[in-house]
Amino acid sequence: MATEILVPQLGNEVTEAEITEWVAGVGDEVSSGEVVVVISTTKAALEIEAPTDGTLSEIRVDEGELTEVGAVLGVIE
Amino acid sequence: MPKQIPIDPGQTYAADTVRFADIPVHAYRSDLAGERDRWGDDRLRRALRDMMIVREFESMLHAFKSTGAYRGIEYVYKGPAHLSVGQEAAAVGSAMALAPHDQIFGSHRSHGEMIAKGLAAIAAMDAGALAAITGKHDDGRLARFVADHIGDAGGSAGEAFLLTGVLAEIFMRDAGFNRGMGGSMHAFFTPFGAYPNNAIVGGSSGIAVGAALRAQLTGSDAVVLANLGDGSTGCGLIWESMNFAGMGQFRTLWQPPFDRHPPVLFCFTNNFYAMGGQTRGETMAWDRLSRIGAGVGPAQLHAETVDGSNPLAVADAVGRKTRILRAGEGPALLDIECYRYSGHSTTDTNAYRSRDEMKAWQAHDPIARFRARLVEGGVITAEEAAALEEAVGAQIEAVTRAVVDRQKAPAIDIKSNPAIIGEMTFNGETVAPTGRAGDLLIDPADSKAMQSIARKSRSGFDAEGGLLSPMRAVTLRDALSEAILHHLVHDESLIAYGEECRDWGGAFGVHRGFADIIPYHRLFNSPISEAAIVSTAVGYALAGGRALVELMYADFIGRAGDEIFNQLAKWQAMSAGELRLPVVLRASVGSKYGAQHSQDWSSLVTHVPGLRVIYPATPADAKGLMMTALAGNDPTMVFESQRLYDRVETFEAGGVPEGVHGLEFGTAALRRAGDDVTILTIGPSLYPALDAADELSSHGLEAEIIDARTLVPFDYATLVGSVKKTGRLIIVSEAVERGSFANTIAANVTRLAFADMKAAPVVLGAPNWIAPGADMEDSYAPQPHDICDAILGDFFAEKRVNRRGLRDWDIIDMAKRGI
Ligand SMILES: Cc1ncc(C[n+]2csc(CCOP(=O)(O)OP(=O)(O)O)c2C)c(N)n1
Repeated sequence: MATEILVPQLGNEVTEAEITEWVAGVGDEVSSGEVVVVISTTKAALEIEAPTDGTLSEIRVDEGELTEVGAVLGVIE
Repeated sequence: MPKQIPIDPGQTYAADTVRFADIPVHAYRSDLAGERDRWGDDRLRRALRDMMIVREFESMLHAFKSTGAYRGIEYVYKGPAHLSVGQEAAAVGSAMALAPHDQIFGSHRSHGEMIAKGLAAIAAMDAGALAAITGKHDDGRLARFVADHIGDAGGSAGEAFLLTGVLAEIFMRDAGFNRGMGGSMHAFFTPFGAYPNNAIVGGSSGIAVGAALRAQLTGSDAVVLANLGDGSTGCGLIWESMNFAGMGQFRTLWQPPFDRHPPVLFCFTNNFYAMGGQTRGETMAWDRLSRIGAGVGPAQLHAETVDGSNPLAVADAVGRKTRILRAGEGPALLDIECYRYSGHSTTDTNAYRSRDEMKAWQAHDPIARFRARLVEGGVITAEEAAALEEAVGAQIEAVTRAVVDRQKAPAIDIKSNPAIIGEMTFNGETVAPTGRAGDLLIDPADSKAMQSIARKSRSGFDAEGGLLSPMRAVTLRDALSEAILHHLVHDESLIAYGEECRDWGGAFGVHRGFADIIPYHRLFNSPISEAAIVSTAVGYALAGGRALVELMYADFIGRAGDEIFNQLAKWQAMSAGELRLPVVLRASVGSKYGAQHSQDWSSLVTHVPGLRVIYPATPADAKGLMMTALAGNDPTMVFESQRLYDRVETFEAGGVPEGVHGLEFGTAALRRAGDDVTILTIGPSLYPALDAADELSSHGLEAEIIDARTLVPFDYATLVGSVKKTGRLIIVSEAVERGSFANTIAANVTRLAFADMKAAPVVLGAPNWIAPGADMEDSYAPQPHDICDAILGDFFAEKRVNRRGLRDWDIIDMAKRGI
């Protein structure tokens, strides 16, 4: 089963975020609650955790790129 | 990267006991033979003589204050005289243990400490070094004055130089060490290690810590003494300062060779009274002053109580503490007990203490006792001691006779230059940083935060002229980051600190990513000690460094009030330009959090002479003004609106300039041209003014908008030029209207452009009450419709446009009700 890693709600006025760092790489085993990617908004940096156990099978937004609230950052299988 | 001090719940809740070590009280045991071996007879005789000099000097001031004459010299001295008669052993004993380059900071009662330190430094210097100092000071003018009018005064020319410099300073003469701008309570002469005294009780504590931090970071082996009174233990700043110097991070997080504590000794001259309040038993809780060391840290500040009536007990204790400090294991505290039997000041009637008490202490006179001991021990004969005393009297008399003479030693010439004091406020120097700091943790180009900024558009507009989001264009926050990082990267003398300055990235993200680049000793989290943050920055700067410090919210200025208004703002002028204070103090102006987190206090800071005050409203200005502030040698206060941190650049055609970009202070910016009314904006009011101008256009009125950018200095020429054209002026700011700097501007423009004005100027600010919470905030900070209401109502009533704002109140009625 595939689970998507999403950009969470970031507060009232924030709609965009930048990918600061992928802590996990494609093919890495990750467990639920482990930090897989760090994103930044104009206000803060945010560590995003794996929503489930599995293997990071896909990265959809690369480091340095901008993305929006709700977008899919990557996929865990 | 999170820091490496884990907090473990198991360990946290383990049963334990906090233990304290014993604090020695008067543990020194007299052993004259041993002290003769240690110091040599010559040094012991000099200690006696130095105490006599301090006593005679203070007695001379006492004589002038109480009788108007000393040894037949008549003189009316109108200034303060907080004398230290009875405390000479503390001053001289402490100076015995210090090297010339060790630094003492003092209080209102520090003539004696300064003289003792100077005498000890002079005796320790060779003739060449001394001549270099006296020849250099004020281009040799004081040295020539001494040579022409005093000579060696029976002592030495060096001593005459010292005594003249101090006395002329006290008497507010041009020949004084700070040209009379400091006077009795602010005298200093750094080449002898006598750093500023301070008329604010406790004021020296944080400044001394800052100077010690400078010594620590430059690898100097100098130690720094904060000479304070026992009464100052009631002041918040001294507690903040002791904690600051004892912060755990020096040992846990700072890297070698900086992993040591600032070498500062809190040296309390405990004379049992603070004016008439008795510290022990009445106003303070400590019972023994030295006890407070136990509350500050595990090393208990190495606190001790020592006998301040015996110079050798003091020298012994100060000597032992300096060794601890030089090993990086400070800070330390001494409680030096001695009795002032001169009054607090010369208006003191001694109503608070009994004659018996004073008599008992006079029988315990430090000089008489030391003299008797030296005579008894055969260090000096009674005749020699009497001759010493006589020579000291003649020496002080000779110096005094020359200094009281207004012909020979005039005050500065205010008549021929009425602005001479004002011109001492700022030095106007710029020091563009060159080279590159050798201590960077990574290349800034490899920093993710910097790469993120680098990817952004410099301009706030895309190719089609659409507004870019703050994630896509350089924001005001980014612009500040660039300016600050440039200086941190290119100037190793610059340190930056404040609450949340490191891991958090600055409370509002301006320092984001810096922790990856700048090592701990130049970028650190301070304790929640606003007073110490500013005070240590003052000390760090006046000892030769540069500091960028931060108050999270401008509302916290109150917590650092004295440090901003009396220390940071005044030391350059009080030193007659001798000291430089390259300190940049940032403070954000909040919004949404209500009354204690939303105030624009720029008017408060502008009111006190001595600070440059800037309030950028655009990203390009934020960068340019911050770079100029950091490159300057004058203290600067930066206001930053939290509402503007995410603003992108919409004025500069090329966007926020890359690289080095300095913007001259005192040049206002024309943001919009128009012929009908001039709107001067301060800080974020620029944006509602722009919206208002668009609306006014629809009524056929063209507003000219001028952004003040800097309040001190202020650009009247640009503003007056505009008002002469439009004939109407409204000033918009978020400061409360009553007492706002905008009123000063309005009054001055009225004088300067009266003939061309068609109406009286209008000041539109926040109303004279608290800032309400987020949902009510638009009733507080001027909104576009408030600006339109004021302009249409006051200047163009014939347009008969309905008011939409709330501000239709009666000034006279409101003032009568106190709001
Ligand atoms: C902040 C501040 N509060 C009050 C004063 C007024 N004042 C001057 S000296 C003094 C007493 C200080 O006592 P202490 O620190 O024991 O020093 P001492 O006068 O005994 O040398 C006071 C209250 C001041 N100068 N500064």
